[in-house]
Amino acid sequence: MSTQNVRVTGSGADPSQDVSELERRLVDRIDADVMDPHIPVSLVEMGMIYDVRYDDGDVTVDMTYPCMGCPAYQMIQEDVTHCLLSVEEVEDVEIEVVWDPVWSKDRLDEDVQRKLRESGTAI
Amino acid sequence: MSDGWPPEAVDYVQAIADTKLMLSHWYAEQAFIGPNIQDNIALFSLTQDEYGQVRQFFLQLEGQGLDGDRLRSDREREEFHNAATTDEPAPDWTRFEVRFGLTDRAAHLMFDAIVHDDFAGLTEKMSEEEYSHFDFHDGWLEHLADAEPEAFRAALAESLPDVLTFIGPAAYDDDTDPLVTAGFTDRSAAELRGAFLDHLEGIVEGTAVTVPDPDPVALEEWDERRRRVAGGGIGADVLDSIRGTGNEEFAVR
Repeated sequence: MSTQNVRVTGSGADPSQDVSELERRLVDRIDADVMDPHIPVSLVEMGMIYDVRYDDGDVTVDMTYPCMGCPAYQMIQEDVTHCLLSVEEVEDVEIEVVWDPVWSKDRLDEDVQRKLRESGTAI
Repeated sequence: MSDGWPPEAVDYVQAIADTKLMLSHWYAEQAFIGPNIQDNIALFSLTQDEYGQVRQFFLQLEGQGLDGDRLRSDREREEFHNAATTDEPAPDWTRFEVRFGLTDRAAHLMFDAIVHDDFAGLTEKMSEEEYSHFDFHDGWLEHLADAEPEAFRAALAESLPDVLTFIGPAAYDDDTDPLVTAGFTDRSAAELRGAFLDHLEGIVEGTAVTVPDPDPVALEEWDERRRRVAGGGIGADVLDSIRGTGNEEFAVR
């Protein structure tokens, strides 16, 4: 999953809606700073970030989890929040956990699958 | 259905959530004692799945105005609406599988019947996770029914009435089940009972075990909120364990 593919799915996001330059930068920031704590890829690469919306200082992130019982459930949300609050234009971050569409391995592109295999993760 | 929930739906979802909370608890406890290390590992995984699902059900209930902190840690014993099969630990492996494996199946049938928009994707994801639960439980149940038919029969006679009571009264059909008539679920308690019993018949097929005649559950005796006909509930020691009372001093604030 590349940063270019965020806001391409459900959960209320309009696939035809343009993503602003700032929103793209916020997705890039998550991609650079927030890693999945279990494997060496970012949340964006894992396809866990569905949408990032910016409105006058307020950012809303729609994200999901591959595993509903993720032990890092809260920690990951705090990592995303802290990461985005470090961007000058951002004043507040709200995380919305969504399950529609359900995450699947189809969201991993070939490069990410290779990284996972090299780290010993079965996919 | 996309509007608010009827009151019966809040009770229904809490009963499923509390039952899953207790399943998570008993899976975790059993995961330290077998029957073998492969099962221990599987049970830890089942524990994690159940707890993750409970977290999402509680968030949904918060959305309906219930107090999240109270749901998670501030309730008294009688406020838990778990299935009666999950009140106590199972004394042996056969009863563990019959009690909790069948209750897990019943809970799945129940949440899978929810068609309210708030659960779009959510129940689909849960069903994906439950697939491995049924792989595990059904394999064991088929084996135990074949290898220990007497113990299995006794366990079934003990637990089946409570599992069916959890699903609901047979008198609730498409025309009378308030969850169906409100559009919250698309299958009545009677239909879910039928699906559950069909599945159970399949598990014991070819063994010396037969499924006892099901109790229809008298509507006038049935507690709609706690989905049982008698009183009872979890013990004080179980409540302490769920709350983590003994571990409070280690909690990170």
